[in-house]
Amino acid sequence: MSVAAAAPIKSVDALKAAPEDYQLAVRKIIRSHAVNELYGARVYDEPAIALAPTPYLKWLTCRIAMEEYGHHVRFRQLGEQMGIPEAELTPEGRKPLSIFEFPLKTWEEFCVVKLLADLAEIIQVEDLMKCSFLPLRNLAKMTMPEEIFHSQFGKDTCTELVKTAEGRKKVQAAIDHYFPMMPAFFGKKDSANNALYRKYGIKQRTNEDMRADFLTRVRNLVEGHLKLKLPEVAEAA
Amino acid sequence: MSGTPRGEADEAFAQLAAFISEIPMLPWFAAAGATLTPSAIADAESYVAALGLAPCPVAPVAGWRAAADIAQRPDWSRDWWHAESAHEKALHRRGAARFGLAPLLAALTDVTETAAVLRDRAADGLGRAGVDDEALAKVAGGAAAQACHQQALALLAGSDAGRAFGAKYALFAAGHWPLGIVGGTCFVF
Repeated sequence: MSVAAAAPIKSVDALKAAPEDYQLAVRKIIRSHAVNELYGARVYDEPAIALAPTPYLKWLTCRIAMEEYGHHVRFRQLGEQMGIPEAELTPEGRKPLSIFEFPLKTWEEFCVVKLLADLAEIIQVEDLMKCSFLPLRNLAKMTMPEEIFHSQFGKDTCTELVKTAEGRKKVQAAIDHYFPMMPAFFGKKDSANNALYRKYGIKQRTNEDMRADFLTRVRNLVEGHLKLKLPEVAEAA
Repeated sequence: MSGTPRGEADEAFAQLAAFISEIPMLPWFAAAGATLTPSAIADAESYVAALGLAPCPVAPVAGWRAAADIAQRPDWSRDWWHAESAHEKALHRRGAARFGLAPLLAALTDVTETAAVLRDRAADGLGRAGVDDEALAKVAGGAAAQACHQQALALLAGSDAGRAFGAKYALFAAGHWPLGIVGGTCFVF
């Protein structure tokens, strides 16, 4: 029987009585979110302030960077309450996702990153909104409205950019560059970690299921809404 | 603390702590759209002069929609934005030389975390004006947070180069939103 089926775990204190592998699974998720939220703010959101084409968009990007940093702070605080060493909650102590290894060069790239990566993040956070560890479920609920706004920002800005021929070309180039990295964001097929997360109700869906959901939603956005082309990629990581 | 006497560092960080504690207490955006007082006009003129830019007219902005339109106009002054960025970099270098990079960044992080509440203050201002616009609340909150960051840099650098940000922050502290130089005019909402 899974922990989720038995009873949700209501607090950090209650977590101490959970099976060891449940505790390890929760730690892995929190570390990953804390590290990647901070690294994303550093390599995408902060540099994008200089690239934004108007003061309005510069200040909006400034706020988005603060919100992404704020998500890091919330995950880090939960991690610290659980006794995760501080060094493991920052990119200096843990390897971030590979998508962050490609530095931002243009405003169009930033808008596409928000369009693609924040949608991927929403799908991950949606899953955590039913998490059996309630502090993590509550954190997911808190961050979700801002994640939705960031993803909508990506859609809105890309919608504006594709109104010109030059903008279409740049947005398509950014999609061609960043989209192939996205399927890996959801983890490996038949992942042992994911099986553990589902066993305990920490996550609800397989990596493959979330990846397929992402591909459907992103295809609707890119091909249905923006009328651009989504590059072919291997769907299984 | 690199190269700075203990007492001087204590004084600077105490000043910064007072500044941070003041942030939630100020009337953010409360005077947005109000007539500009002589004091507000003087602050705007000092801001432009301290950035090393040519004098320009200072103009009020009537409402939130007009403020959003001005902030999106294509004829915004790149010289203004670059002058701010250059001042920020100079102050950052000086602050890091005075106290060390890590303490400087830690102090600026405290400022950013405190300034996160300013989106809510902007949303309150929008609500009072009967405007429902989440993006604009975030834009205004981002601008106000940037001003807090810049003023904190000025305080920690302890240099005359921070005067521009002092004048800009005074406008925010009085409830206005300085929108910068657009089309040759310094707009203050």
